Amino acid sequence: MIEIKDLHKSYRMGSNSLHVLKGINFSAKAGELVAIMGSSGSGKSTLLNILGMLDGADSGEYVLDGVPIKDLTETKAAQYRNKFLGFIFQSFNLINYKSALENVALPLYYQKVGRKERQEKALNYLERVGLKEWATHLPSELSGGQKQRVAIARAMAAEPKVLLADEPTGALDSKTSYEVMDLIQKINDEGNTILVVTHEEDIAHMCKRIVHLKDGVIVEDKKVNQVRAEQYV
Amino acid sequence: MFDRDIWQEIFHTLKNNKLRTFLTGFSVGWAIFILVMLLASVNGMQNGFTNQFNDDATNTIFVRPGTTSKAYAGFEKDRRIQFENDDYEYIKQSFPKDIEQISARYFANTTARYKSETGAYPLQGVHSDFQVIEKTIITKGRYFNSVDVLNKSKVAIIGRKVKEDLFDKEDAIGKFVEFNGLPFRIIGIFIDEGDDNAERRIYAPITTLQRNYGNTNNISQIALTYNTSYDLTEALEFSQRLEDIMKRRHKISPDDQAGINVWNYAEAFDDISSFSTVLSAISIGVGFLILIAGIVGIGNIMVFTIKERTKEIGIRKALGAMPKQIINLVLLESTFITALSGFIGLIFAWIILSLIGPNIDAPAFSNPSVNLSTVVTATIILIVAGVLAGLIPAIKAANVKPIVALSDK
Repeated sequence: MIEIKDLHKSYRMGSNSLHVLKGINFSAKAGELVAIMGSSGSGKSTLLNILGMLDGADSGEYVLDGVPIKDLTETKAAQYRNKFLGFIFQSFNLINYKSALENVALPLYYQKVGRKERQEKALNYLERVGLKEWATHLPSELSGGQKQRVAIARAMAAEPKVLLADEPTGALDSKTSYEVMDLIQKINDEGNTILVVTHEEDIAHMCKRIVHLKDGVIVEDKKVNQVRAEQYV
Repeated sequence: MFDRDIWQEIFHTLKNNKLRTFLTGFSVGWAIFILVMLLASVNGMQNGFTNQFNDDATNTIFVRPGTTSKAYAGFEKDRRIQFENDDYEYIKQSFPKDIEQISARYFANTTARYKSETGAYPLQGVHSDFQVIEKTIITKGRYFNSVDVLNKSKVAIIGRKVKEDLFDKEDAIGKFVEFNGLPFRIIGIFIDEGDDNAERRIYAPITTLQRNYGNTNNISQIALTYNTSYDLTEALEFSQRLEDIMKRRHKISPDDQAGINVWNYAEAFDDISSFSTVLSAISIGVGFLILIAGIVGIGNIMVFTIKERTKEIGIRKALGAMPKQIINLVLLESTFITALSGFIGLIFAWIILSLIGPNIDAPAFSNPSVNLSTVVTATIILIVAGVLAGLIPAIKAANVKPIVALSDK
């Protein structure tokens, strides 16, 4: 599903240039649930941004579902993001004046799905994250865990190939963190490919594979026995 | 453009920022209001001028003799030109198709006496056609006719002021008034809408005055009206022909401006219309400058809005919004504010004008109003202005990097 070869990225900071990714080789098959770990400055967020086409690499190859991702224009990147990727952010990033339902329907709007079908689909995904009754509520009326579940529903709504989660539990207490992880695990059980960036060991161990990043290179890549989040909920 | 979701979003932003929307909208509405008012004022001045000139027949030409400024055909310069009865006849015969009314004028001054009342007044000898040329309105009695002119009758018509001076409340018609000692019978009293001074005049048949004042053939001036169906070009062309023929007749150099003066009202009208064209151009210019201030205001507020919504735009882009869609959203919003507030300004101006406009009727300012083409132009300007105002902010918005917008740090 994801194929990365010798990925390099550096940022220019004034006159210095900061080499963040120093040749990353990584691949993930369909249906995997991968945790990307590392301390801050290890390059994990940069990697995720490149995977999410929010940022471009300096050199290296990136193939997503058989499509080589390179030389992206803004428009092309937007189309690919819409088609291939779903994002889950640490700070949820819901649009605060739109109801939960409208937030979930937004990627479908950019897919040019008709209004009615959009509403139906969005409601369906809200139901799957258990928030059907909250459909008309604004994000400000929801708890942190609920917000993240709406964000997950939104990421799912476009039916992407890969879900990218950047510290999805970073802003949540441990109980709600486990609820969210439980949801992510269930979505993964249905066959979705999910990449989770985290620096929390327990969250990482709820994935099936852990990739350790240090100073811009992968230092460890191991399969783990998945800890089900269900038991903590 | 007619996407329900886009409009929902626009209304949402406007609703959440009522004061901001109002303040920006106000600047544009105000600009359009001023623009329309300025144009209406120019229009009012134009109307005022037209009314002023309506006092005399607007198709009038005056031919006056002058003093030559160039030596020509054996004559030295500084020769005084004198018109005589022949010139009147000559013009009358030469342009039968062009001329509707024609009258010579002979200017004199007189001391008029009736019983114990006396007064000094300008006395004009004219032909009977002059009534139409000067738009003299007879309130009592009659104007003299061509028979009076032919018979050199000692009759006169007097202005309202003259009548009040000499006769007070007494009936003047049929009474004899002495002009420089010669008795004239008063046959009519007139008023003139133009000014009070004209009502201090006395008119008498030109032939009578020429006979009794110096027994001369001299005339001071020739006044005429031309065919009313002539447009401006034809009218100017006719006065040119008239000037040429009179210059030839009096042996004045064709490029001598001073020898003969042919004064055409049409020229004055031409001057006035070019004057008001310049005036409209200036007011459009001023209006535009004010409008630009309004547009900059809207642009400014849009830039601010974009800044405020950077994160939201980043989210939208991450979810797959294309730059084009973001640009659309911003442009539509700015165009909507501009057009809406502009229309409000326009309607305001229009209401004020239609309420007070018809009541204004000062000498140089009458019924200011705007026509449809102004309104249509203003509308087009508004929409273009809205797009312009949104353009830079829209491009700024489209260039928002989702990664920067979404970073929590």
